[in-house]
Amino acid sequence: MMCVLVYAGMAAAQGNVQNYFNDAACKVKAASDPSQKRDILVGAIQDMSKALGTVQNSPLVSKSDRAGLDRLNASLQEKQDELAGTNGFARVADDQLNAFSEYVVQDMEQADQTITIGVVAALLIVIIIILIA
Amino acid sequence: MRAFGMKSSLNRFFAGVTHAHRVPMMGVACVALALFLSSCGSAPPARRAALTEGEGGTRPRYSIVCVIHGDGNYLYHDSRGDKHRADEVTLAEAKTVAERNTQAEMFIFHERRRRHLLLFVPRRDGTLYYYRYGRLIAEESYWRDRGQSRFDPEMELYDRYRAEGSPEPVRLFLYFGHEIPEFGGAGYDASYKKRTFTVDDLADGLRRVARDSTRIDLVVLSSCFSGTPRTISALAPRARYVVASPDNLHLSYFDCGPLERLDIGLREGDMFGFANAFARHAFDRLTEDVQTAVTVAVYDVDRVQGFLRSTGGIYDRALAAVEKKAPASVERCDCAEDAAYALPGINEGITVLYRPPRFGRLKHKESHSGWECWKLLE
Repeated sequence: MMCVLVYAGMAAAQGNVQNYFNDAACKVKAASDPSQKRDILVGAIQDMSKALGTVQNSPLVSKSDRAGLDRLNASLQEKQDELAGTNGFARVADDQLNAFSEYVVQDMEQADQTITIGVVAALLIVIIIILIA
Repeated sequence: MRAFGMKSSLNRFFAGVTHAHRVPMMGVACVALALFLSSCGSAPPARRAALTEGEGGTRPRYSIVCVIHGDGNYLYHDSRGDKHRADEVTLAEAKTVAERNTQAEMFIFHERRRRHLLLFVPRRDGTLYYYRYGRLIAEESYWRDRGQSRFDPEMELYDRYRAEGSPEPVRLFLYFGHEIPEFGGAGYDASYKKRTFTVDDLADGLRRVARDSTRIDLVVLSSCFSGTPRTISALAPRARYVVASPDNLHLSYFDCGPLERLDIGLREGDMFGFANAFARHAFDRLTEDVQTAVTVAVYDVDRVQGFLRSTGGIYDRALAAVEKKAPASVERCDCAEDAAYALPGINEGITVLYRPPRFGRLKHKESHSGWECWKLLE
């Protein structure tokens, strides 16, 4: 029974993180002004980064989860850099912001397959995202 | 009126039951409920259609085995933001392939996550759909965790339903799921944390489908990071051509469209040409919708042997080192980035279709060797 609950918790957590970026992408596409699109993306990525940072500092999170969260955070930082055109990235053009929002969704969905984090960390991320969003 | 009359009779019946009788009756009801619930989990829920004389008497020209893994997080969003479960989408596509191939038999194994009725009563977690000549002949649920090796339950069903006789059919094996681990493999099934699945298990499944003596004409691995020296080596004794993605593969997977009419696609019997056409179609569809990298490769298994022999030892040693590291301290990379693999024969026997990611640090990467390796992070 515990396995069933853990699995359900994990699936819900993963689904929530994916939905979070998908919702942001939908808002980006619905917005007409490029600066508004950029703000939505920056806000969504920063909020997730904050959530990851908070979870990383939690004593409930294992060492291996911390390493996984580090990689996720690094990936999000790259996306922020690309949006802003810093750290060697060319700034994402205004007419590419819709495509970039899809890229963020797809890259996070793929990261979910390759970066392993445990159920506690995943659930904490979801709780914090709900609180700060 | 009749319903009302029946309700009244029931009311009268229950009103007439004394407290002394109620307790044993509740016990009986509990036993009946338990029997009902357990029957949900253990009775063989199979539907079978009888073969017509023509269907049973000749052997189909094509034999397709399709395994769809769904015991994990297979959620993805399309470019409109709509949610999909990759295994459900693929199952629908596979059924279309089976229905449109009127000269084939097709086994579709859908491996679902383990569920429980009312949290306690386990339910069957695999479903076989068996088609012959475009018609659904059997639909049968099964337990995935019964057997010594990974594909035992599937192979038991395969042996039960497969068409016998000659000539040998053209064989295809399709796998849809997450990255197939090269070592370890625990946790591949989200609802069976201790069960393992590796490329060796997949190779064993191919061996049993190939009946120990022949090779599968085309193996399609619709999963991330399948174009590795280890994976192709493991499948080599049982496969002639492999279509796989050495890099990440979006969960919308390879499009099954070209498989729908094998009588047309394979009219000339040119499996290499068909594999290339399949890969091209999959690549074109993926690049329409996907912003991350798209890599689809065709491996002519005989012709890549030189490269595999030259690099097999190096790769095995690298794999042994990676196995000892924490997952977060290793990363996949194009083998061509490592001088040990960048040999003159790296492109021999392999067709690679590659488009870099539209964004990110690899957006200017111009090509992919078609082979994926590991690197240790600092």
